[in-house]
Amino acid sequence: MSVKKILVADDEAHILHVVSMKLRNAGFEIITAVDGEEALELCISERPDLLITDFQMPFMTGLELCTQLRRQDATRDIPAMMLTARGFDIEPEEMEAAKILAVLAKPFSPREVLQKVNELLATVGAEQE
Amino acid sequence: MTTAKRVGLTGLAVVALGGCAAYYAAMVIAYKPDAPDARLGYLIPVMLASLTVMILVGFQRQVHRSAGSIGNQLKQLKESDEVGLIEVSDGEELVSVATPLNEYLLSIRKNMNRLRSENRELQIQARIAAAEKHHTEAIIFSISDAVIVTNRFDELLLANDAAEKLLGFQLSSAVRKNIDRIVSDGTLVRLIRETRSHGSSFTRKVVEHSIDSKGTPRTFSITLSCIVAPDEEVSGVVAVLHDVTREKDIARMKTDFVSNVSHELKTPLASIKAYVEMLMDDEAEDEATKAEFYEIISTEADRLHRLIENILNISRIESGVVKVVREPVSLPGVVKQVLDVASPQAKLKGLKLFSHLAPIYYQVEADHDMIYQAVMNLVSNAIKYTPQNGQVSVTVGVDERRGISFCEVSDDGAGIAVEELPHIFDKFYRIKANNKLAKGTGLGLTLVKHIIETVHDGKLSVTSAEGNGSTFTFELPVIN
Repeated sequence: MSVKKILVADDEAHILHVVSMKLRNAGFEIITAVDGEEALELCISERPDLLITDFQMPFMTGLELCTQLRRQDATRDIPAMMLTARGFDIEPEEMEAAKILAVLAKPFSPREVLQKVNELLATVGAEQE
Repeated sequence: MTTAKRVGLTGLAVVALGGCAAYYAAMVIAYKPDAPDARLGYLIPVMLASLTVMILVGFQRQVHRSAGSIGNQLKQLKESDEVGLIEVSDGEELVSVATPLNEYLLSIRKNMNRLRSENRELQIQARIAAAEKHHTEAIIFSISDAVIVTNRFDELLLANDAAEKLLGFQLSSAVRKNIDRIVSDGTLVRLIRETRSHGSSFTRKVVEHSIDSKGTPRTFSITLSCIVAPDEEVSGVVAVLHDVTREKDIARMKTDFVSNVSHELKTPLASIKAYVEMLMDDEAEDEATKAEFYEIISTEADRLHRLIENILNISRIESGVVKVVREPVSLPGVVKQVLDVASPQAKLKGLKLFSHLAPIYYQVEADHDMIYQAVMNLVSNAIKYTPQNGQVSVTVGVDERRGISFCEVSDDGAGIAVEELPHIFDKFYRIKANNKLAKGTGLGLTLVKHIIETVHDGKLSVTSAEGNGSTFTFELPVIN
C-alpha cells in the first residue's frame, strides 16, 4: 500500500507544524498550505488523498475551498475534514454541500486528528474498492 | 300717599269748598234778597270745575314725573350693564308698579349673578384645560421617539417632530386626515387600525418593525395603546416608535465580538493543548524538538495573555477604572522599543521598515506602557495589512508652535475605503475586504483611540485611500 498524501491547510504556523508532525510520525506524506488559494492550487497539482483545512484563512475560507474542489473533476473526490474554532459558524447544509466529512473543534487533540484521518481514509478506501 | 287717598282728600276738599260756597250764597240771599242770584248760580259750578281741573293737572304731573324718574333709572341701569332696583319715594305715584318691577329685577339680578359665577368657573376650567393640553403637547413634542396620535376614525390628531421626520409629513397639513393618506408604511397603518378595532380589551402592545427611512432601514419597537374614553369606547390610538437600530447593532456586534474573541482565544489555546499532548505522547524525537515544543507552548501562552489583557484594557478604559501612571516619556524612545520588537515580523514578510525619529529631548507626559501599546498596535496593523515588498515608515516629530509631539505610522498597503473610514475606530469593527489579509478582534484601533484620546487627551487621525496605504497620526502635548 502506497503512502497516503495529506494536505494540511492552516494560516496558523504552529497548528500546521503540530498536525504535520503528528501525521508524518504516523507514516503519512504531508504537504502544507498557509491560505485557501495555495491549498486549492496544491489540491489540483498534488491530488492529495485527504485535505485537512482550517475554516478562517486568508483569501479563501476552508468552506469556500471545499466548494471550489467539488466544482472540478480533478479534485471533486478529495475527501475533506475541517479543523476549526468556528464550527458553530457553519451550517450543516453548507457542510453537506461542500462534502466535508468531519469537523474537529479547536482546541483539538492531535491523537484524535490522527484517529479521524485513519477512519476517513479507511472509509474512503473501502468505498473505492 | 297713594292716588286713592289723594282722590278721597280732593273729594273732601271739593265738598268743603262747595259747602262754603253754598253757605256764602245762602247768606247773601238772606241779607240782600234782591241781589241778582244768577251770577252766584254760575260761580259755584265754575269754581268746582276749575278746582277739579287744577287737581287733575297736578295729579297728571305727579304721575308723569314718577314715570320719567323710573325711565331715567332704567336707562342708567342699561348703561351700567347692571341689574339694580328702581327707587320710588313713598309719596310718588306708580309705587304699585315699581314694587313688583323691583321684585322682578331682583330675581333677574340673582340669576345673572349665578350665571356670571358659573361662567367664571367655566373660563377657569377652560384655561386649565388649555394649559393641560399645551403641557401634554409639550411632553409629546419633547420626546425623541416618534409619537403619533389618531382619533376613532383613524385620523391624525397629533404628531411630534420625530414622527414628521420619520414618516415624512407636515403635521399642519396632515392633521385630521386619515392615516392611510399620510403614512406610506402599510404595516404601521395596519397596526394602528388593528389596535383601534380591538378596542378596550386590548389596550397595549409592542411590535418590532423595520421602517425604511430615506433609504436606510431602521428597526423600531412600536408601542401601540388605545385611548379609552370614560364610556369605555375607544377614542383613538397612540403609537410610540422607539428606534432600536443602535441597540440591535450593538447586540449583533457583541455576538460577533464574543465569536471573534473566542476564536482568537482558542487559536493559541489549540497550540498549547496540541503541543502538550505531543510531548505526553513522546512525539518529539529529540531534545531539540522537545525544547522547541516548550518554547511554542510558552509563546502561545504569552499570546493568550496579551489577548486577554487587550480585551480587559478596553473594558477598563471604557468603564473608567484604568490605572494611569503619568511620567515624562520620550516618544522616539517608545517608538524605538516597538520597532525593535516588530522588525523581525516585518522582515519575515519582506517589508521595508523606515523610521524618522526627532531628537530625544522632547518629552510628553504619558503612561509609558499604554503609549507603547498604542504604537505597537499601529505598527503591527501596518505590517499586517501591507503585502510583501511593501514599506512601513514611522515618523516622530515636534510642532513647536503648537507645542505637540506627533507620531505618524504610514504604509503603502491595502488602505481603507472612504465609507469604512468613519467606523474603523468602532469597537469590534473589522473591514470585510481586509478580513482575508489578517486576523484580528477589531479591538486594536479601538484601544489606540482610547489610549490617545480618552486617557491622554491627545488626538488620533487617519488618512487613507483604498489600495494606496494608510497613515495614522497621533499627537500629544509636549512638556515645556
